[in-house]
Amino acid sequence: MNTLVTQPKSQKKIDLQRFLEPYLYLSPALIIIALVIITPTLVGISYAFQSIELLNPFNGGWIGLTHFKTLFSDRYFFSALANTLDWTLISLFFQFSLGLGLALLLNRKFAGRKLVQALVFLPWAVPTFLSGLTWAWLFNPIIGILPHWMTSLGMLPEPYNILSDPHLAMYGPIVANVWFGIPFFAITLLAALQSVPSDLYEAAGIDGASSWQVFVKITLPFLAPMIAITVMLRTIWIANFADLIIVMTSGGPANSTQTLPSYIFTTAYRRLDFGYASAMAVMLLILLLLYTAILLKMRSKLSNGD
Amino acid sequence: MRKILFCSLLSLSIASTLALADTKLKLVEVITSPDRTAVLRQQVADFEANNPGITVEITSLPWGQAFEKLATMVQSGQTPDVVEMPDSWQGLYASNDMLVDLEGRIAASGLEEKLTDKTLAMARNTGGKANMIPYGFYLRAMFWNKKIFAQAGMTEAPKTMAEFVEASKKIKALGTGVSGYCLRGGVGGTNGWMMFMAAMRGSPEFFDEQGNSLLSDPESIKGAQFLVDLYKNGHAPRDSVNWGFNEIVSGFYSGKCAMLDQDPDALISIAKSMNSEDFAVAPMPLGPSGKAYPTIGYTGWSIFKQSENKDSSWKLISHLTSPEENLTWAKKIGVLPIHKGAEKNAFFSTEQYSGWFEELNNPNYIPLTMPTHLKGWGYFGSVMAKDSSQEALLGMISTEKMVEDWAAYLTKEQQAWMKTQ
Repeated sequence: MNTLVTQPKSQKKIDLQRFLEPYLYLSPALIIIALVIITPTLVGISYAFQSIELLNPFNGGWIGLTHFKTLFSDRYFFSALANTLDWTLISLFFQFSLGLGLALLLNRKFAGRKLVQALVFLPWAVPTFLSGLTWAWLFNPIIGILPHWMTSLGMLPEPYNILSDPHLAMYGPIVANVWFGIPFFAITLLAALQSVPSDLYEAAGIDGASSWQVFVKITLPFLAPMIAITVMLRTIWIANFADLIIVMTSGGPANSTQTLPSYIFTTAYRRLDFGYASAMAVMLLILLLLYTAILLKMRSKLSNGD
Repeated sequence: MRKILFCSLLSLSIASTLALADTKLKLVEVITSPDRTAVLRQQVADFEANNPGITVEITSLPWGQAFEKLATMVQSGQTPDVVEMPDSWQGLYASNDMLVDLEGRIAASGLEEKLTDKTLAMARNTGGKANMIPYGFYLRAMFWNKKIFAQAGMTEAPKTMAEFVEASKKIKALGTGVSGYCLRGGVGGTNGWMMFMAAMRGSPEFFDEQGNSLLSDPESIKGAQFLVDLYKNGHAPRDSVNWGFNEIVSGFYSGKCAMLDQDPDALISIAKSMNSEDFAVAPMPLGPSGKAYPTIGYTGWSIFKQSENKDSSWKLISHLTSPEENLTWAKKIGVLPIHKGAEKNAFFSTEQYSGWFEELNNPNYIPLTMPTHLKGWGYFGSVMAKDSSQEALLGMISTEKMVEDWAAYLTKEQQAWMKTQ
């Protein structure tokens, strides 16, 4: 009797339990993600709609879209956006092409390869603040050597600090960033290269393929998935990466090296306007999400096309 | 397990009773460098030895991040007892009513008689009530390289702004790549602009009675244009558009530029790298009105209102600013001392300091106090003025545009401040 009455109930209960059970096992991870990732993100986004200025601590409160309206009439925001684009694309292009070249070189067999491999990855291990300072010193004509070399090569009319020239200053941090980022591409692409089956190369050799053909028809297709994922990751990292710029030029002279992240940093920690800084950070987030969505779409189209 | 818990509780309670018996002062220094921290530690150690029961915990913030670090500390409730208070922050903390009024303690200790009038005026700079005891002054004067001047056929430092340009022209004509003026175009350059603009304007006032900024009047614009022209005509090194303190000082002692306006603290590093007969310090060049307005700066010690140990904190400040300790401090870190009669001290009566003491004693040199009572002054100086003056030097915007932006911002700030008075 009892069982008859309770059966439909317990069936429901069991369904519910079945439904909830995986989430129970997942809950530690979910709680941690909510606490560590989602909460700060939401709090940060909420700042974008509030007035939070440390200099006027009592003028706080919700102000709606005011920050975003200011943003669209802020000429420094748009110049920072353009600089972010330059900084990201130029750095990425050289990091990738030089990194790929390095990976191809290191994939050959030669004496002392292990040692060279270890040395080549060194820049990646140097703290960015240290490499930023070192590069800033290298570009300083009083203590550094680079301006004198560039003058001897005819690149500069006289040895001066390119970090003080608004037209050239951006190349200072970019050079440092390229130096810093090559090992990342070299490491990941070298790992991918080593997984290409060697019998393919042997077969190509028997068929008389030229080395260019081998590279385009065998190496590149095998590397393609790795290239797509590393380029995407790296773009986001570089676009978000302000350390080198802050250390080397702090956005100057005359804002000519101000990228969005460094402008956000200046707004938050110099102007002490956390609300406006958050609004810009939200814009940066939206732009990067758009970029990622486009890239992922392209990737799935490409792999479907195969 | 219970034992462990019990033991830890017990030790905690013992520790807290110990802390109660001992007064622990938290002191934050914000202009940190290894040498000066060593002097401070020594002076604090002497204080602790003379005052058993009081211990001082020193937190040293690097100057570059000090402003936001201290602001964050105060916001999060970790307020220190005693803090090193630069003039540029005094306005912010005083107008938020966070600093202890020291008038009663100054009267009780007879300090009024011993400190120079300028010291007291600076202590009372915000709101008329003393909320800090300055520990020393920075006053701008002109370092000049005697060797380079001799090569260019000159034996004296320029006395007026017109002579200043003439001297720069002669130095440029040497053709050795040496420029006349070590321009500070980067961080901290704001004082230079204000000084030359005041010299042309012939007034140390920043605002009229209604709180309108005087920076955009035609005479002030001439002062700003003076610096822009100096740079555009090649009388300052090309890199100097982005120079900060370290670059101008090293530019001067390495002979890249021959004239440098700086405070006494630069003397320390310059004296290390140059022979004392190769350079001298002269007063700032006079403007068309026959007056010059060297900027004056000061830093001192303040007590936060939230402090629970105000009496001990005052004891500590009194020790640090006592005549003896202050002389040692002033010599080691390069500031002008605060007590009456300090210029008679052998150290300060040398030729190196004569430029500064002439500025202090000659009525034609009127110290220029920055409007540090404005909340937005820190941002104005470190970001806004720096960015737009670089744009003007590089010809990206006109001098008028730059000066109008500055005047608009400062007028807004001043009028907001006047409303609260």
